[in-house]
Amino acid sequence: MPSWFQTITKSRFWQSFFRHGWPDNPLDRSLVMTTNIFFHLHPVKVSRKSLRVTYSFGLGVMSIIVFLILSVTGLLLMFYYTPTIERAYTYILHLQTQVPFGQLLRNLHRWAAHFMVIVVVLHMARVFYTGAYKPPREFNWVIGVLLLLLTFGASFTGYLLPWDQLAFWAITVGTSVAAYAPGAGPTLRTFLLGGAEVGQEALTRFYALHVMLIPMGIALLTSIHIWRVRKDGGLSANQTVDEDHRDGQKHD
Amino acid sequence: MDKSTIKEPFSKSSAKTYSLVELVHRAPTFMVDHGPDDTVFAFPLVALLELLLTLGVSLVLLWMSLSVNAPLEEIANPNQTTDPAKAPWYFMGLQEMLEHGHPTLMAVLLPTLMVIFVVLIPYLDNDSHGAGRWFTNQRGKSITIKTALYVVIVMPIYIFLDSMFPPRELLRGIFPDLVSQVIIPAIFMGVIVLLPLLVLNRYHPTPREVMLVLFTVLFVSAIVFTLTGFLFRGPGFKLYLPWAMPGGYNPFSNL
Repeated sequence: MPSWFQTITKSRFWQSFFRHGWPDNPLDRSLVMTTNIFFHLHPVKVSRKSLRVTYSFGLGVMSIIVFLILSVTGLLLMFYYTPTIERAYTYILHLQTQVPFGQLLRNLHRWAAHFMVIVVVLHMARVFYTGAYKPPREFNWVIGVLLLLLTFGASFTGYLLPWDQLAFWAITVGTSVAAYAPGAGPTLRTFLLGGAEVGQEALTRFYALHVMLIPMGIALLTSIHIWRVRKDGGLSANQTVDEDHRDGQKHD
Repeated sequence: MDKSTIKEPFSKSSAKTYSLVELVHRAPTFMVDHGPDDTVFAFPLVALLELLLTLGVSLVLLWMSLSVNAPLEEIANPNQTTDPAKAPWYFMGLQEMLEHGHPTLMAVLLPTLMVIFVVLIPYLDNDSHGAGRWFTNQRGKSITIKTALYVVIVMPIYIFLDSMFPPRELLRGIFPDLVSQVIIPAIFMGVIVLLPLLVLNRYHPTPREVMLVLFTVLFVSAIVFTLTGFLFRGPGFKLYLPWAMPGGYNPFSNL
């Protein structure tokens, strides 16, 4: 390591930021994980089994990545959008034609949203077919199902915001289903839409749900989801290590 | 170890209170009964893998966004219905269900039952053995594949026949709506979903295998219904082939 580099990394200023040395030895590689708020979601050591691509296909991690992409592009879109039925559509047109990279920004948000639904559904299928819901992970499966429903909700509420024909009729069709719920159906639909039909009240409610309530719910539940994965010993693949040894056979 | 080379390494005399139980090769004694510690430091390997995955996902989305524009139609007009009027693609399974029975049954009761079942899976099958293995074992894999094939064949046939000869239309006026729109579709759905379970029951299934069948039936059915509604429903919400839609309707314009 060059001496100027050592001078910097050994300085009190640097060490007030990073509470570990250069991670080329077991101690510092452990400290990287335990002293960094983002890395500390990870364990210090992981089993090779849980890293196998054909086990998890990285679908859970991908869901988080897409959620982050959606958060960033969504935040940028909020700078150019107003949820009023008079102006929403013109702002989308403005975004697409006047704002630099505006069309690209909207495309990214749109395709990422579809991608997230697909990835989250596939993640659930992966967890089911690998038996990763089994004890002690039962409740984390339940949280996962809630996250799937929230993902549908996030995508559905966002669908209305461009306020074009596609958005209007998709939400009209989608919410009319809610009205068929026995007993509370019509009340439920009115509660969602803020009125009898898709209008300004619906746009306001869907916007609030889409940019605030649902993303916050996803962020909260995802935190619990990941925390519980750690507390339950990482991916279920780890559980098979001891079993393989005890059974005296290879399952791969 | 060759037995002939060892002759009574420890005496069996009653004066001795110890005996040789087992020789442990190549491993320290504290490893006995534990698998090899097959782990690696998460840093930098996992960090790099996540970075690569982030770059990969971003590149795919960027490429997609550069090549296809998000759709935008005319400004919303409550007085002018679009034909067909479709929900977002992931709810097209629900909208397709509406075509085959009473809305309360098809779009509310059955989906609610489905969500409740999915939530309950870990409580119905709580044997932790086999967790962490795809399909648990070879038999589980074979059960899953056969069930998936069954649904892929039976569900489209049901959807097609039920659309060609809808009992709720044909029986209208003959039976009360409750029979033609709720009870008969519920029986159809019930038979299709439970038939593979009856077959499986002859082979003394474990709870995990019952879950494999039920989840696969529901999961593949959801895919079949979603694809039917999304790709094969055209103007008037009638069945067409995706490449032969009347009026040049493109199912993908709804994305």
